[in-house]
Amino acid sequence: MTTSAHTAELEHDHVQAPPPRGFRRLTAPGWYRAMWVTPLFFGIGAGLEVLIRWAAHWDPLWKGSVVTTIELVTTPIGFLVGIGGFDYWAHYASGKPTRAEDHSGHGARSWKDYFRINTDHKVIGVQYVVTTFVFFCIGGLFALLFRAELAKPGDQYFNPQTYNVLISDHAALMIFLFVIPAFAGLGNFVIPLMIGAADMAFPRLNALSFWLLPIAGLMLVVGMAAPGGGPSAGWTCYAPLCSHQPLGQVFFNLAVQWAGASSIMTALNFLVTIITMRAPGMTFWRMPLLVWANFTTSLLVVIATPFIAGSQFFVLFDRVLHTNFFEYQGGGYVLGYQHIFWFYSHPAVYIMMLPGFGIISEVVSVMSRKPIFGYRLMALSLMAILVLGFSVWAHHMFVAGMASWLRVPMMVTSMVIAVPTGIKIFSWLATMWEGKIHFTTPMLFALGFLSMFVIGGLSGIYLASVPIDIHANQTYFVVAHIHYVLFGGSVFTIFAGIYYWFPKMTGRMYDERLGKLHFWLTFIGFNLTFFPMHYIGLQGMPRRVANYAPRFADINLFISIASFGLGASTIVFLFNMIRSWRYGEKAPANPWRALTLEWQVSSPPPIFNFDEIPQVVGNPYEYGVPGAKHAIFGAPLPEPVGAD
Amino acid sequence: MRRGAIYQLAAFAVIAAAICVAVALLVPWLPVAAGVQAQRIDMVFWVTTGIAIFVFSIVAAVIVYSVWKFRAQPDDDSDGPPIHGHTTLEIAWTAVPAVLVTVIAVISAIVLARNGNAGPDPVKILVTGRQFEWSFTYSNGKTLGYLEIPEHRATELDITAVDVIHGFWVPQLSQKQDAVPGEHNKIVVTPTRLGTFPVVCTELCGLGHSLMRSHVNIVTQAQFASFMKSGGTTTASPGLAVFQQNGCSSCHTFKPAGATGKIGPDLDKLKEYAAQAHQGPLTAFIKESIVNPSAYIQPGFQNLMPKNFAQTIPAPKLAQLVQYLAENAH
Repeated sequence: MTTSAHTAELEHDHVQAPPPRGFRRLTAPGWYRAMWVTPLFFGIGAGLEVLIRWAAHWDPLWKGSVVTTIELVTTPIGFLVGIGGFDYWAHYASGKPTRAEDHSGHGARSWKDYFRINTDHKVIGVQYVVTTFVFFCIGGLFALLFRAELAKPGDQYFNPQTYNVLISDHAALMIFLFVIPAFAGLGNFVIPLMIGAADMAFPRLNALSFWLLPIAGLMLVVGMAAPGGGPSAGWTCYAPLCSHQPLGQVFFNLAVQWAGASSIMTALNFLVTIITMRAPGMTFWRMPLLVWANFTTSLLVVIATPFIAGSQFFVLFDRVLHTNFFEYQGGGYVLGYQHIFWFYSHPAVYIMMLPGFGIISEVVSVMSRKPIFGYRLMALSLMAILVLGFSVWAHHMFVAGMASWLRVPMMVTSMVIAVPTGIKIFSWLATMWEGKIHFTTPMLFALGFLSMFVIGGLSGIYLASVPIDIHANQTYFVVAHIHYVLFGGSVFTIFAGIYYWFPKMTGRMYDERLGKLHFWLTFIGFNLTFFPMHYIGLQGMPRRVANYAPRFADINLFISIASFGLGASTIVFLFNMIRSWRYGEKAPANPWRALTLEWQVSSPPPIFNFDEIPQVVGNPYEYGVPGAKHAIFGAPLPEPVGAD
Repeated sequence: MRRGAIYQLAAFAVIAAAICVAVALLVPWLPVAAGVQAQRIDMVFWVTTGIAIFVFSIVAAVIVYSVWKFRAQPDDDSDGPPIHGHTTLEIAWTAVPAVLVTVIAVISAIVLARNGNAGPDPVKILVTGRQFEWSFTYSNGKTLGYLEIPEHRATELDITAVDVIHGFWVPQLSQKQDAVPGEHNKIVVTPTRLGTFPVVCTELCGLGHSLMRSHVNIVTQAQFASFMKSGGTTTASPGLAVFQQNGCSSCHTFKPAGATGKIGPDLDKLKEYAAQAHQGPLTAFIKESIVNPSAYIQPGFQNLMPKNFAQTIPAPKLAQLVQYLAENAH
């Protein structure tokens, strides 16, 4: 059977069953079933709580903090069961004869298909990106609210509780619900296409991992309305403070679990997909650097994320079960929390940066019309960052009171990580050198990233030096640093990626003029907002304060005004995306004249990606090499020779 | 690479470096150091800044040069030269940054070791963080709400906390240390400048975090000796001293004491609150509210006040405080 005939047959099979009607709607997977299964699981959770407390003779039977903890686990499971996240596995586990996959949950025919369990990696990719941008806007709004509070010293609009909730949720949403999953979404869309696969290795797991995300996000936002106030111990949620916060803190502890579970599932999926589903001829040394970057990131996620899960569970146990993991009166180890937390959360910095490095490699090479400079060293430096990333966590704890001998070794490893990062920066610069640079919006964001990330990297060197860190830690200098690496770094690369693949994802071109306007507004607003923070931090303004010394008043007012400008720049982006998606010019298959595989199929790609399986014959960045090809189509497929 | 390109690139780098140096020198980035340790930290800061300017200038020059010289014409569909790498160059940009960070690391390690050395016979002071106040216990047994240390002599601060993690920092002294419940961590400061500087909390510790402030007086050694004998500067009213030493102003507004905290009830309205509370005479109500703050919570506020003032404030001092508040309340 030839490949094309095989695909045609699949297309033929791919006829959507008529939507269920009447009573069937309540049993078929979807929102109707979710509407009754979710309350059912809520009831089961409440029943469990009462039953256990009754059996143990505990008084009172109904305890708010315990019920909330249980409900935040059972209710989302009910929703996932209702919407259909487990249907196939439940069917399989029950021993019934396996159903042939009819691909009815694959591909999107109308906007409604984006609101269902869908197993198509392209649909899931779009679901991810759109969802994460919703949370980006909410998190950004929180930032603007507390910048309004900080425009003047003293108390303006929010009491300290609300202020602390705003800063905690801003960071948590941006990290767990925007940067990490936005990269997962872009990777979801692009990776199978780039390696010449029809989908991810585990499409149903992929669908499930997406649906965990809105649950985590809603939990953070809804938690703000919890009695006593929302999560207010900062995104780092240090024990023992967070064990003694109002009930909203439980929403934070468990939202992180849901987001973390989503992350781990996606990372496993990426790893298996990249290792086992590459097209013939796609050796590791022929993979695009975006695939390399996501491969490395997935390893980081799989190894590190269980640690933050552990830290949040222990804190929760200290609160609900009265254990003493971090309660020193009970013999607990207060700093233990920080060690476990940062053992995830420092690698998380690379989880939030390496996929961006991958995006920049694609954009810089294509837009400069030159091969990536030092391809193998670029891939190897990713692996070096992966390994070193696990050896630097305690540089967040130089003033925390940990064992003082640990400080110098952690400083050395933190400094050394600048070397592979430097290699990447210099290689991108060398890729641009003597190229034919096209200043499209993705390239502008790539250049913005390069310049801003260098500043963030250099302020990172300051913070890696123990003596400077002793002065600058926990001040606005750190706030400036993380925004230069996470906004000037990660967010700029996400924008670069969104603009770069927008034609592929939507089949439409975005408006180039609006894109450039968006870049300049963001770039200028970003620098005006965050650069002065270096200064006020070094001068003595601590971070996470609702109120500050009057001598910082003028500069804080300036920062607040600049931040409103930065916030407004997002309106240009949203307008461009929504309008172009609907009315934009039709996109050609390969508007950037790129060599990588995703551009060799139509925009948007066919439902199973490739009508013919591509055969990879060369490197992905051979711009300027006469006659070079990355892949050929239509050649007879070689005999399979086992897993490579 | 053409020789002309190198000269042009170097010119860009020099211009970028000049701009960066101007920004570094014209803006007073660091507070004026008030201690030996801060001066050493400033030295590391400026060495690192020199290296950072060097690296940033090169990167900025290459970006600006590329944007200027390698812009493709709109109708130019050609590709650039297929350069895949350059081993010498790649070794260079691996080795040079490695050397630069090693320099910073070595200097940092030396400064760290010297800054941690208290020398023989330092002044020893116990620093305790508590939501939301600092207290300082001197070797003469007195505990005050502010820090008083002598100039030109090493002081070893033994830092701890009783509830959650706090962070002790005096920006002008640079040394910072988290105050961790159950642990004692030490930092050394050797002041070089007389004056009064802020003490701030740098670790999010709850609702009063941003107002968890105190101050440090750096005095001459003679003044410090007499301070240790007298046990603290006397204030006009003994009750006011108790008010200040226990950090009441972090959370409460009280005009006679110049306090502006907003976490807890406004003490200028004490009489009004006492009337609402129906808890007996004013002085009894005040005393009860200090030693047993949960007994009556003023509507609109949360039950956040430390519960252990009955143990930490000696009875005569408590009486002074109650009297002071009652006399000055409206």
